[in-house]
Amino acid sequence: MLYNIHFSIDVDVAMPVEDKSKSLLPFLSSPKLLPYESEAEFQSGLQSLLSELDNPSPLAVALISQLNESLWWIKRHTVDKELLLHEAMARLLSKAGSNWMGSGNSALSLALEHYLDGSAHKDETDVIEEALTDGNLTLSDLRVRAFKDAARHIKMVDDLIHRQHQTMRHLQRSIDSIDYKSRLIKRMDLELAALESKQSAKGALTLDDKSS
Amino acid sequence: MTTNPRRNLANRCNALKSTGPRSASGKRASSQNSRKHGLNSVPDFESSSEYRALVDLIAEEGFSGFACADIASSLLNYRRVMDAYYDTYTSPEPVDEFLRDANMKTSNPIFSELLSPSDSEPQDVREMAAFFASMQRQERRKGGPVSRRSSDTHKLIRYQRNGIARLSRAVRQG
Repeated sequence: MLYNIHFSIDVDVAMPVEDKSKSLLPFLSSPKLLPYESEAEFQSGLQSLLSELDNPSPLAVALISQLNESLWWIKRHTVDKELLLHEAMARLLSKAGSNWMGSGNSALSLALEHYLDGSAHKDETDVIEEALTDGNLTLSDLRVRAFKDAARHIKMVDDLIHRQHQTMRHLQRSIDSIDYKSRLIKRMDLELAALESKQSAKGALTLDDKSS
Repeated sequence: MTTNPRRNLANRCNALKSTGPRSASGKRASSQNSRKHGLNSVPDFESSSEYRALVDLIAEEGFSGFACADIASSLLNYRRVMDAYYDTYTSPEPVDEFLRDANMKTSNPIFSELLSPSDSEPQDVREMAAFFASMQRQERRKGGPVSRRSSDTHKLIRYQRNGIARLSRAVRQG
């Protein structure tokens, strides 16, 4: 009964989905995002997960926000896999090119980043193309070699992604168990109410019999 | 901050002669060097306000007192792991660009010149250069910032696995 009373106060059926996540304690619901990440995108992911449940309890909301965070980590690690490749490409280019000691890896890495996303200046394009020519490489050759070079770290990132998937499975099972528990309590409440109404109907009939 | 490679190399060589901190404050500071994330320490959640708020919140959902305490501490423990995961991810060990990009072939004469005033043997120069080269290999093996943060966060996988397993067990048994 306590369960139902609480439900009508904190996580009301009529409460909009976005308010359900706000009703949670701030240390569980406030996301830790990187400077370039969008909080609106993070929150919209959370809302879409919450909308899949009928009446999520505060604990279910807490677990769903952890699940959303896991999904967010998977996104981050997927981006990291590409960045690892770029890092290895820059490393190989700096070995192949003549600017090993001159501009250093960081400048070359930045130039390569711009070159790959198509926003490179003319100087940056020249540096990259010169390094490619020096190393007698094409961009796809470089990518293949970089993949081999960064394989150890890419495997680590794959492990991290796999871990997030496992975490999500655990969270999903926990949410299912809470959902099942709440359904069970509702069903028991309904059965109790049915029994009580039956009992009162029976009592009324007995009184009628006695009076007649 | 010096940008002269000769000066930088000289500083590195002098630093190699160091035998560690001598003052009490230096020793206290260096005693925390190996502390990375603090996840091996035993946390005291029971006295925190978050714990009490969480227990009250979970109790309203019809869980027993023991289950509430177990779920609350498991959830806080999981958050602690994920916060450490985030901190590790966002602050990887910085890349030592000087060490990584130094050209050992051009550095050898500098080593000789730096060590010759102190009547060093050529053997000393070779040893110094070999030591510097091994440090450089280690630095290069660690890779760039993305590689570093990947390998640093990879070390936290087991804490995450234990944290989520504990949380899941607490919720399902509650």
